[in-house]
Amino acid sequence: MARQTTAGDLSYRVVLGLLSAVALLILITPVVVVIITSFTDSRSLRFPPPAYSLRWYSALFDPVQSAQIHTAAWNSLVIAVAATAISVVLGTAAALAISGRRTWWTQTLDAVFMSPLILPTLAFGLAALMFFSTLRLRLSLPLMIVGHVAVVVPFILRTTIASLSQLDRGLLDTSSSLGASGIYTFWRVTLPAIRPGILAGAFIAFMASLDNVSVSLFLAGPENDVLPIRMWGMLESQLDVRTAAVSGVLIFTTAILVVVMDRIVGLTRRIS
Amino acid sequence: MPAGSSASTRRSANSEGDPPIATPRARAPREREGWLALPLALYFCLFFLAPLVLLAGISLRVTPQLEGVGLAQYARFAGDPFNWSVLWQTLLIGVKTVALTACIGIPLGLLFMETPRRLQPILLFVIVLPLLTSVVVRTFAWMVILGREGLVNNALTALGVISTPLRLLHTELGLVVSLSQIEMPLMLLPLISVMSRLDPNLKDASAALGAGRWRTLFRVTLPLSLPGLLAGCLLVFASSVTAFVSQTIIGGGRMVLMPFYLWQQATTLFNWPFAATIGMVLLGAVLSVVTTLNALGRRSRALVHG
Amino acid sequence: MSTPALTRRTLLAGGAVLATTTLLPRPARAAGRIVAPVYPGPWEEAYRAVVLPAVKKTQDVDTVLTPLLALDQVAKVKASRSAPPFDVFLLDPGPVVVAVEDGLIEKFDPSRCKNIMHLQKSFYDDWGVSVAAQIVGIAYNPKKVERPKGWKDLFEPKYYGKVGISGFGTTFGTSSLIEISKQYGGSMTNVDPAFEQLKKWLPHVGVIAQNPVAVNTLFQQGQMDVTYTNFQTVSTLKGRGVDIEFVKPDTGPIAFYTTLHVVKNAANRDNAYKYIDTILSTEVQAALQKPPYNLLSVNKNVPLQPDMPADLVKSHAELASFVHHDWRVIAPLRAGWIERFNKEIRQ
Repeated sequence: MARQTTAGDLSYRVVLGLLSAVALLILITPVVVVIITSFTDSRSLRFPPPAYSLRWYSALFDPVQSAQIHTAAWNSLVIAVAATAISVVLGTAAALAISGRRTWWTQTLDAVFMSPLILPTLAFGLAALMFFSTLRLRLSLPLMIVGHVAVVVPFILRTTIASLSQLDRGLLDTSSSLGASGIYTFWRVTLPAIRPGILAGAFIAFMASLDNVSVSLFLAGPENDVLPIRMWGMLESQLDVRTAAVSGVLIFTTAILVVVMDRIVGLTRRIS
Repeated sequence: MPAGSSASTRRSANSEGDPPIATPRARAPREREGWLALPLALYFCLFFLAPLVLLAGISLRVTPQLEGVGLAQYARFAGDPFNWSVLWQTLLIGVKTVALTACIGIPLGLLFMETPRRLQPILLFVIVLPLLTSVVVRTFAWMVILGREGLVNNALTALGVISTPLRLLHTELGLVVSLSQIEMPLMLLPLISVMSRLDPNLKDASAALGAGRWRTLFRVTLPLSLPGLLAGCLLVFASSVTAFVSQTIIGGGRMVLMPFYLWQQATTLFNWPFAATIGMVLLGAVLSVVTTLNALGRRSRALVHG
Repeated sequence: MSTPALTRRTLLAGGAVLATTTLLPRPARAAGRIVAPVYPGPWEEAYRAVVLPAVKKTQDVDTVLTPLLALDQVAKVKASRSAPPFDVFLLDPGPVVVAVEDGLIEKFDPSRCKNIMHLQKSFYDDWGVSVAAQIVGIAYNPKKVERPKGWKDLFEPKYYGKVGISGFGTTFGTSSLIEISKQYGGSMTNVDPAFEQLKKWLPHVGVIAQNPVAVNTLFQQGQMDVTYTNFQTVSTLKGRGVDIEFVKPDTGPIAFYTTLHVVKNAANRDNAYKYIDTILSTEVQAALQKPPYNLLSVNKNVPLQPDMPADLVKSHAELASFVHHDWRVIAPLRAGWIERFNKEIRQ
């Protein structure tokens, strides 16, 4: 049904178009700026760079110069993998218990498990430090993993619960009415159906652990330097332009991972 | 998050056209599943709630040497107007970030809805990518953009708009703008999620009844999207209030905000009880704002669904 | 039929054993090890380049360096006294007082360090030993501003908008602010004049950094052109091509000593002494003093010339004539100053 374009329509398009253009600009510019800056030839963070070169990338990959960065990156990777793995196991189990049910205790558990997303994790980091110190535990990689699990498990919970809620209960009923045990039903019916949801959550949890600062800040020690803290130190104390190169590598890897995960599990669909 | 997940579970309750298979065994597996939440619950009790309880306990100590029990630290916090202003400024930064993010995020969300299907994944990729890039990286980018010799200043100087560089870094404006970029995906994802489930017929009906685009926006689309909008606001608020890295690097030394204050008390002044008190106050403040928003969210959903 | 199953099982078992062995703490190798903190930035570069290889070569000890500011070191050890995350402290005078009072430092035994005989007696005591001297003064960008002469110049109109200051969170910051206070009638224990001066000048401030190490970044980025800092920071930045020069304030530069201590309950006490001993040796002190590190030596056998600019300091004797502050007096006052600084400078 054709409608005449009124002045209201026009102003609507103009205003919203402008604002969304601003939004897109603000979203994209930092990523682009970092990538361009990583190719600078100079020692400072001037933009646009006076000259271009790959020197910072080669400095970054030089095992002698950047050994500490490599160690920190490796530590972050190990922590992220371990934290994600543990979160997947604990989180999927919890999601199975909570999803679809509206009793008082499932709702309470839901709120508690989701709370790290909302509560200031900096306060939690300090609390964790005090906690481990009261227990006279020396800071180490496993303790860092423990701290990270609490902070990233909500991501897995969220996507898995969403996935479970879209699961056709009829399938489960059919399976059990055909004589299958609970475990069999879970393994052969439920799990394949929710696997994309779990994987999507696991991916976000993994990235969140890699990126975590507020918990790592308090729990990091000499043996478990992690990448975000190291990068922050490099930025603040030396203005080391290798930070730009690290950022470039991170952005590139993230982009590839996102594309890959999108192909596998429809990531972009699931986190929206 | 509370708002989103319960909405999705309610919507998916498959009450439509289920053949009534009355099998008693169909109920048993569901009841057995309850204990599956136990491992995570235990984990949380031990490694999340226990530390927070300890934090609360330490905040009740009287001296920095952890002697005595009492509300001295809270009295100290409440007694000094400086502390209130730090809390207030921190919460205000959160509010301003939410406002800016909503103002430019909602149009982007609407744009997304009107983008052709084929292009939507690309747009979603653009929206999601900043979320998955390290926060240190994004903060670093804003240093380059807002610095005295950075992108904005160089561009404006080249265009002849200004002759001396503007101070953008270490200002509240710079902080709010950079925080809104860093947190924008947190606003957009719930918003898009809710908007995409809106019945398109409602918009068409509104247009057919003669309402202009603006009216449809404010009377139909936005109210219906309120759950997603509130969820987004909640996440952006919580996240920007505790964004320690961005606040210190972009905000600079003159902005004393709660996260920095906590950090300074804990690691420069070694006053753990007071640091714990700051932590508890921050937790309490964010929690109360979140609960209020959640309550508003529930009422808005009641309004919408009747 | 049984063979494949056996193979698979043994493979799994072998894998499990392998996995568990990687989780076990690595057995101590013949070489010892030590975990040592070091100041981030120029210090870390210097220690990685000079100290690590030296300690390995002369003492057969592997060093794990962790970048931490002095106060952060104390904070981390306070958080786990019974199992500290590192074996030595590298501290400035202010944090030393805090650490000693808190019982975090083990009594120092000078007899365990051979190289201590190369040091003046005043450089070591019951608690630790000096390993480098630091000189604090004013730094400026010669391409952008005129050479300032002294502390008072920081507040001159010609530098409005160009000066960066950091607070009382560091030793050099506290010392500088004390000196500024003295210019306006204050003293080592009275910094009120400095606060008053700051308040008057605040509308023209360039930048304020609460994180002291951010000074480097901000200078490099052109966010400020004049500030107060260590000489050694200036020489490192200069070595990296930044336009920066150091100025001895006309009222006299400040000098203090950075010290090494053994942490109480350290896991590798003996190696800690070996580590300290190596750093005190003539070779290492000489190497650390050379540009671009410029960490002033404390070893008698390493003269300050010709590594140091002649107009900066000619000898250890001259170093002794610079302004020194008594940190036992300052330390208890600092918490109050830090909190007052928060209130005065915020927007």
